[in-house]
Amino acid sequence: MDSSGWTELNIGPQHPSTHGVLRLKVKLDGEIIKDVEPVIGYLHRNAEKLCEMSYYCDNLIYFDRLDYVASMIMESGFLEAAEKVLDIEVPERAKWIRVIMSELSRIASHLVWAGAFGLDLGMLTPFFYCFIQREKILNIFTEVCGSRQQTNYMSIGGVYQDLQEETITHIWEFLKQFPEKLEEIYKLFIKNDIFFSRTKDIGYLPKDVAIDYGVTGPMLRASGVPYDVRKDEPYLTYDKVNFDVPVSQKGDVLARFVVRFEEMRQSARIVKQALEKLPDGPYFNPKGKKSLMIRVRGNGEAYSRVESSKGELGTYIVADGSVRPYRVRIRSPTFKNLSVLPVLAKDTMIADLVSISGSIDLVFGEVDR
Amino acid sequence: MEDTEDKQKTFMGKEYTLGKDGRKIIFLTKDEFLPFMKRLKESGFSHLSLITGVDRRDYIEVVYHLHSISTNEIVVIKVKTKDSRVPSVTSLWSSADWDEREQYDMMGIIFEGHPNLKRILLPEGWIGHPLRKNYDMDTPQYVNMDEDGEDYVTFDSGDGW
Amino acid sequence: MSLLTVFQSWFSPLGHFWSYAIAYFLEAVVGLILAALSLIIMIYLFRKYMARLQRRIGPNRVGKYGLLQLIADAMKLMGKEVIFPARRDDLPYRVAPLLVIFGLFAAFFIIPYGNIPYFGSLTISHSDVTVILLFAFMAIMPIGEVLAGISSKNKYSLTGAMRAVAKDISFEVPMMLSIIAVVLMSSARTANALNLQSIITSQVIPYGILEPLGIFVFFVATVARASHTPFDLGESESELVSGFSTEYTGLRFGLFYMGLFGSIFLGSLILSVFYLGGYHGPFAGSIGWVWLMVRAFILVLIFFTVWLAMPRIRIDKFMDLGWKYLLPISFINLVISGVLTLGFGW
Repeated sequence: MDSSGWTELNIGPQHPSTHGVLRLKVKLDGEIIKDVEPVIGYLHRNAEKLCEMSYYCDNLIYFDRLDYVASMIMESGFLEAAEKVLDIEVPERAKWIRVIMSELSRIASHLVWAGAFGLDLGMLTPFFYCFIQREKILNIFTEVCGSRQQTNYMSIGGVYQDLQEETITHIWEFLKQFPEKLEEIYKLFIKNDIFFSRTKDIGYLPKDVAIDYGVTGPMLRASGVPYDVRKDEPYLTYDKVNFDVPVSQKGDVLARFVVRFEEMRQSARIVKQALEKLPDGPYFNPKGKKSLMIRVRGNGEAYSRVESSKGELGTYIVADGSVRPYRVRIRSPTFKNLSVLPVLAKDTMIADLVSISGSIDLVFGEVDR
Repeated sequence: MEDTEDKQKTFMGKEYTLGKDGRKIIFLTKDEFLPFMKRLKESGFSHLSLITGVDRRDYIEVVYHLHSISTNEIVVIKVKTKDSRVPSVTSLWSSADWDEREQYDMMGIIFEGHPNLKRILLPEGWIGHPLRKNYDMDTPQYVNMDEDGEDYVTFDSGDGW
Repeated sequence: MSLLTVFQSWFSPLGHFWSYAIAYFLEAVVGLILAALSLIIMIYLFRKYMARLQRRIGPNRVGKYGLLQLIADAMKLMGKEVIFPARRDDLPYRVAPLLVIFGLFAAFFIIPYGNIPYFGSLTISHSDVTVILLFAFMAIMPIGEVLAGISSKNKYSLTGAMRAVAKDISFEVPMMLSIIAVVLMSSARTANALNLQSIITSQVIPYGILEPLGIFVFFVATVARASHTPFDLGESESELVSGFSTEYTGLRFGLFYMGLFGSIFLGSLILSVFYLGGYHGPFAGSIGWVWLMVRAFILVLIFFTVWLAMPRIRIDKFMDLGWKYLLPISFINLVISGVLTLGFGW
């Protein structure tokens, strides 16, 4: 107890519902939260300094390890900026492959989120249903690059390996059974009254506050702002596929849940179109070939945005004409999204804090970098 | 607005250059910085996307990426500072709070007027600012926890737990 | 003929006092073994059922079909390093898990299990007021939980203990009221209305059919009593780490865990005794014990399904449920059963 009569509770860094190493200094009045102060940095590796110290091609592995549940999107985020700095064109087929992999990665990431969110609320079963589907995506990743999570599949000027016919049939098989299973998972949550009472009208985030705090991604869209980088500033080939940006005006935890599930459906739609439109041709630019990559020199500066599963992933690269970037800055979406937690969690209960912090979709590789 | 100003290469009365990604880069001095940022905020740049400090060895360049959600435009504002001090923009954008703390932590940029300028990723008491080009990387620092549960930094690897 | 008399007849050469003393002792041992055995079977069943629901395989490595998994787990728990919190209140901290287990097993002795072949009736308690005894023993368990929470000197534990108290107060009342309705009904049919045995024998029509509201209230209260999701507010893993058992390690933690499963099983037994006709079988010569177990295990599966499918309810809504919904419902139930019994003579 401090002088104000509030109990100080230290949640984390080791706690079942902090998704890694978030530490929350909470001031409690009984069960009501009066003040939350997030303490981060327990997983800090200084990826930005590591990027400065290594060649452009090696930077990719640090991006893999940022958001380790959606590593393909992280890679494409870095490459968007790096290829501008290095003046390397990407062949059409590689762009389509990147779209396919990014969207599969987004589905995998949202599935992890849904499962973990269920665990936060005390639901044990949906977790496994989500992870069965995610495992199928990870198997596809293993086929294309030999790795499940830290894929390192995309490379400067294209992708590391071509997409084989066999893999394409496996993706089709996945897509065939996925919508039905997704609906099953969705119903497991949404048809439950207790789930409703735990999420509806909890953690309301108004539109202006969300923009003010730099919140992006599904969280912002759940607050009624239709901001999606894939639509607003189409990168790769997102301008050639049809998809909708789900927006909800409610702004509560339930809205974030619904938006994320709708995003998964849209991602599956994008993958389908991308597979149909996948052109033949080279899958990498010879200029960016692995053996050459430590010799390519970048100059100028570039800021790129991509829509990661958590929000807007920005990469700002300043080059000085050497083989290493001069400065790499990562705009981590969850870092910004987490900063709004004290606003959301004020005057709620401990149980709500768990469901709110769960709805942010925290991945600490990315928050702490 | 843009069409007329494009020919003169000015944006809201300021000259700009184009970056490699096609975004407008505006250089500001420290005096005109805050009023111009206020004008930007009022003209619809409601989303402060990113604050970056770039250590150019003899000066520090602070880069602001401002994004307007309604017009979907990104403007890059750059401020040079020799004494690593710039005015804080936390009064304009709340998202600047954590970003400025991070840049203070990593770069040692002091944002004047920030309400709570302390380290965010590294523990209090860390020596040096890691993203500076002259940061001493050969001296490892260890983080430990004292009796009261507070973190502290030490050079002795055998200290503590 | 009952278990006691069979044992007594075996040792009758020792004289009246000694034969009865040994018979009572053996009866208690048999009861303990049966309770522990059914608990072990139930935990194995739970893990397999849970795995099936979650599309997993479940334990399948230790022993045939993973049957020995629980023993392996118990040995693992025993081998674990026991960590004591430095500022604990020592005696309550050590006693708390034992209290939980004591309350649980004591309550198991009260249940009338029906008859088994050769030995006859397997009812260990011979009191006439077993209803009161049963709930008195069951009331010991929350004391253990509260003691554990307070003596750990941990904020999570303390909050967990506070929640456990709130939970028990708000759900004990509707539970007792629904039991009173049962006693009321049985008092019109039998002289010994407070005896579980006579409550069972008086159920020509199971009370669950006569009191659908009562069985509902009792079911919900039992879920709260056993404290699994949606009502596991004392532990509530994702919020309070592990609630009152946060600071417990090794076998002591295992005892709390066993208390959870034990309460589910005990709850199903009590529910079948009070509302579903206990050990009544469909034919005259059926073995009562088997039929009681069949009822209990079906109920256990229902409890598990609720556990696995539901998220955790928030504490304020939980209290609302207890006081604003269950309590009025149990009053209505009491009135209805009073009218049925006294007015219509059902």
